[in-house]
Amino acid sequence: MGAQKTGLLRTPWFQLTLALVAVVLLVVAPLLLPIPVNQTLARIGVFAVAVLGLNVIMGYTGQVSLGQIFFLGLGAYVTAYGVENGWNIALVFLAAVVIPGVVGLIVALAAARLGGLAIAMVTIALPIIGVPLAKRLSDVTGGSQGISARFSSAPDWTGLANDQWQYYLVLAIGGISFLLVFNLVRGKYGRAFRIVKENEAVAGAMGISPYRYKVLAFTIASMVGGVSGFLYMVVVQYTSPETLAFHHSISLLAAMVVGGAGSIIGSLIGGIYYVLVPNFTNEVAPTLTSLIQGAILLLVLFILPGGIASLPRVLRRWTGRSSRSSPPASSPPEASAPSSDPSPSTPPNTSPSTSSTTPPSTASVKEDSP
Amino acid sequence: MGTFIQLVVDGLAMGSVYGAIALAIVLVNQSTGMINFAQGGMAVLSAYLAFTFLGLGLPLIVAILLSVAASFIIGALIERFLMRRFMGRAEDTQVVVTVGLLTLLTGICGWLWSYNNLQFPSLFPSSAFTFLGAAISWRSFGTFLAIAGIMVLLQLLFRQTKLGLALRAVADNRQSASFAGLPVGRLLMVGWGLAAALGAVAGALVAPRLSLTPGMLDTTLVYALAAVILGGITSPVGVVVAAWLIGVLENLAAVYVPIIGHDLKIAVPFILLFVVLLLRPQGLFGRKTVVRV
Amino acid sequence: MILKKKVLSAVAMGAVAAMALSGCGRSDGGGSDGGGDGGGAAASPGITDEAITLGVTTPLSGGTAGPGTCTVAGLAAYMGAANEAGGIEFGDGKTRTVEIEAFDDTYDPQKALSNFQQNQGDVFAFTSGLGTPTNRAYREAAIDSEVPQVLVQTGDPIFSDQTESPWQLGFVPIYQNEGEAFGELLAGSDGDLTVAILSQNDDYGEGYVEGFKEAISGSENIEIVSELTYEATDTSVDAQLTELAGTDADVFFNAMSITPLVISSIEKSRELGWSPSWFLPSNTSSPVAILEPAAADAEDGFYSVSFAKAPQSPAFAEDEDVVTFLENLEQYAAEYTTTPDFPHCMWSYMVGATLEEAFKNMTEPTRENFMEALRSIEDLQAPLMLEGTSVNTTEDGQPAVSTVVVQKYNGQGYETAESFD
Repeated sequence: MGAQKTGLLRTPWFQLTLALVAVVLLVVAPLLLPIPVNQTLARIGVFAVAVLGLNVIMGYTGQVSLGQIFFLGLGAYVTAYGVENGWNIALVFLAAVVIPGVVGLIVALAAARLGGLAIAMVTIALPIIGVPLAKRLSDVTGGSQGISARFSSAPDWTGLANDQWQYYLVLAIGGISFLLVFNLVRGKYGRAFRIVKENEAVAGAMGISPYRYKVLAFTIASMVGGVSGFLYMVVVQYTSPETLAFHHSISLLAAMVVGGAGSIIGSLIGGIYYVLVPNFTNEVAPTLTSLIQGAILLLVLFILPGGIASLPRVLRRWTGRSSRSSPPASSPPEASAPSSDPSPSTPPNTSPSTSSTTPPSTASVKEDSP
Repeated sequence: MGTFIQLVVDGLAMGSVYGAIALAIVLVNQSTGMINFAQGGMAVLSAYLAFTFLGLGLPLIVAILLSVAASFIIGALIERFLMRRFMGRAEDTQVVVTVGLLTLLTGICGWLWSYNNLQFPSLFPSSAFTFLGAAISWRSFGTFLAIAGIMVLLQLLFRQTKLGLALRAVADNRQSASFAGLPVGRLLMVGWGLAAALGAVAGALVAPRLSLTPGMLDTTLVYALAAVILGGITSPVGVVVAAWLIGVLENLAAVYVPIIGHDLKIAVPFILLFVVLLLRPQGLFGRKTVVRV
Repeated sequence: MILKKKVLSAVAMGAVAAMALSGCGRSDGGGSDGGGDGGGAAASPGITDEAITLGVTTPLSGGTAGPGTCTVAGLAAYMGAANEAGGIEFGDGKTRTVEIEAFDDTYDPQKALSNFQQNQGDVFAFTSGLGTPTNRAYREAAIDSEVPQVLVQTGDPIFSDQTESPWQLGFVPIYQNEGEAFGELLAGSDGDLTVAILSQNDDYGEGYVEGFKEAISGSENIEIVSELTYEATDTSVDAQLTELAGTDADVFFNAMSITPLVISSIEKSRELGWSPSWFLPSNTSSPVAILEPAAADAEDGFYSVSFAKAPQSPAFAEDEDVVTFLENLEQYAAEYTTTPDFPHCMWSYMVGATLEEAFKNMTEPTRENFMEALRSIEDLQAPLMLEGTSVNTTEDGQPAVSTVVVQKYNGQGYETAESFD
């Protein structure tokens, strides 16, 4: 594989064609696929959006948040409440985004003053207090028996089955969320987030207020969490205090890191991981799910500490190495990477390739530290 | 008044449980710079080991000591063959590795010992005595004293011994520690080993009270983390005092503050944490760290 | 590189095409379309002439894995023994073996729904699963696809309401029934009694308290002096016990489903010098798993409601049902658990017997017919059931088991209590 061919791969036309093919595939697939597969794909979309939100605050801005599931749960409850009370569905959606956003903003205004572990502990409190709170507000939430809202049946004019309709809703709303976040992190906000992540003192010196950007990132993460909550209701149509239990937050975090922190495509992989691994372990041995899931998580990270999204980078380094047939020990890894690779020093927004969605972060720079 | 004193006493007993796990978290953090979410899971595994030794007919104290020794080795091996791979990685990756470890250990315990509640005998008699009108069980009192003792030992370890100094140096800056001729790898293993051994003691102390299940310490872990941040992660004494404070305040708030009540008492440590951190970001007893550009 | 991508996308396309072509495609997993091809007797998914497949989605890991594992273990033990004996002869004359497929939902509603959706095409009926939120999460989906979700182990009344839940049926008594039974016992006593209540802060605890209050309303001699709650995730209820002990109530109504918390409640009240009469729910009153470890003093009076024989109780050590049950558990449920520490093990064993009864009355291999057969069981004395209780599925609004017996601890096991003393 020479640099030329890799270069061709990165031409805008090729990228565009590839993207088009992907979109067509995503749109046509549910018409052909069996119902359970569509339902799984839709569920993947829900949690991919949840992981995406987490990535905004953690992967890109470097603030450990253990509370993302709270915003999913809040979005789901708002959706259920709105549907129950007969609001217009557009209004429901808006509320499911704005209310978590406002709550996120309020929390962030206070929490963003803290750094490191402290912010982790404040965010952990959200789902932990959220569960008993949801039970106490039983008039609104339905208490521990939960609340269901069935608003996502396919309208007759579409001629679609419910699973297809739900899939398309998730695809459309989730897809837009991904595009918006993709644009956000590629632009000047994304750069500011990354600088805050790397070194707050430097950010301050550059005139970037770490506080403001942390609040911004947290608010956006909460809103994206609210979106995933709305989608959760589209797909699951039921929520209860169990939905926002604290350990799901930890699972989301694990999914994010397994997918690849600070990576758009990694968020999607995270969603796939979050949904498919429990399905898989149920097939293998339903009584050993915890054991197998722990082993899978450790194995993946052991092989790819940068997450699954770092696989192409790792592979490229390997292939680069073998094609030069250089002695493996002597050549430093950076040198063996193809020249057209977005190296950490290249500003990410100058490269039109999709792989720039994996921006250089501390993680990727430190790839080979012992 | 009687109820008030009893609530304080109960709070101290529960706080000691939180403190036990919190101390193990501090030990790992001060010697490797990590936060170990699997600390509770490791303590549960140790308790199961002790339970198994007990089943072989060994006396309780011997079973616990054996499990402490075994846990030291297990902790060191986990550091060497798992955590070492993630040294210098992003913090969230490290946290998630410990989450994976927790899931794996919970799964292993459930597989080998089932998810049933096992009765773990206590080192202390099950009777109680009365003090200032409050009933205190010997079990709670014993746990309280043991935690206080371990707290003092840890404080001495980090502040007064060469080993403690070396452990902290490695956690602070591995490179300079290495240049200074410290055996960094071995010290990291010792740090994890000690924390696991301490976890084993904690597990044996709290298992009789909580009854042994794979998820025995899941909720405790959250409280322990809150205590760690509240007390200041650099100070074993601070962390235990914070754990006691959390235990006492949540009890008092549950009974005397109607809007909190028993269902929302878990909010208490976090409200406390939040207020304290805004005023003192390094925690009640922690030392300030200076960030350099 | 281009080549690689092309190969990849070709593979992806191929996979999609293969999936689409692999028979099922867009066919419905539900059983409602049976009428289209060849009359109403077309078999529903999950049943052949040789075998029937049942699904159980239940927590097999996480905080509720203990009882969750038991909800499969008993069923697996019962059906394992039935299969070993050659299978069950159905009402249509065919003898089938019963396959149990267990799915772990970790008590997460979303996963329970996923388990349902992914497997409804291969599973004839879902049964025995534990948990209110998890069962609720796929209740409506099961109705939509007309898949039976029956004999589930939650006391939530909605599952036994035929208008709300045409494809559902609960197994265990609704929580209200259990609370009510004890309330009636108290209301029937002579002396004045004060009651302190501690309940789990969810539908479980609320149900118990609701039933209890209903039964004592109008009884002048019973007074509730204090009422507190706790969370299922709590590790300690010391503060509640301290507060309640302050009332020095005569009776302690403890609607608690968490084993270690019940043990520590008994210990704590002893430490505090408070010795009321106790009421414990059916799922946390095991003599071996709870009362003995807590060194409960039978003199205090420990009451519980039950409909299942306690295998560990010496009173039933020689009981034929219990002996067979333990043998079957050992032989066919080793994958799950062989020690019935939670009553859910016995309950799911009874679920097995109830299903067998329904199968025997099934004249067509369809889900509709199964529901009909299931809803017409009267006074079935399933193995392990206490005298005076039975399975009765004909009454709308009531789960399969709705009668309970109030029992009193005698230091070893339970015996039926006629009155409160």
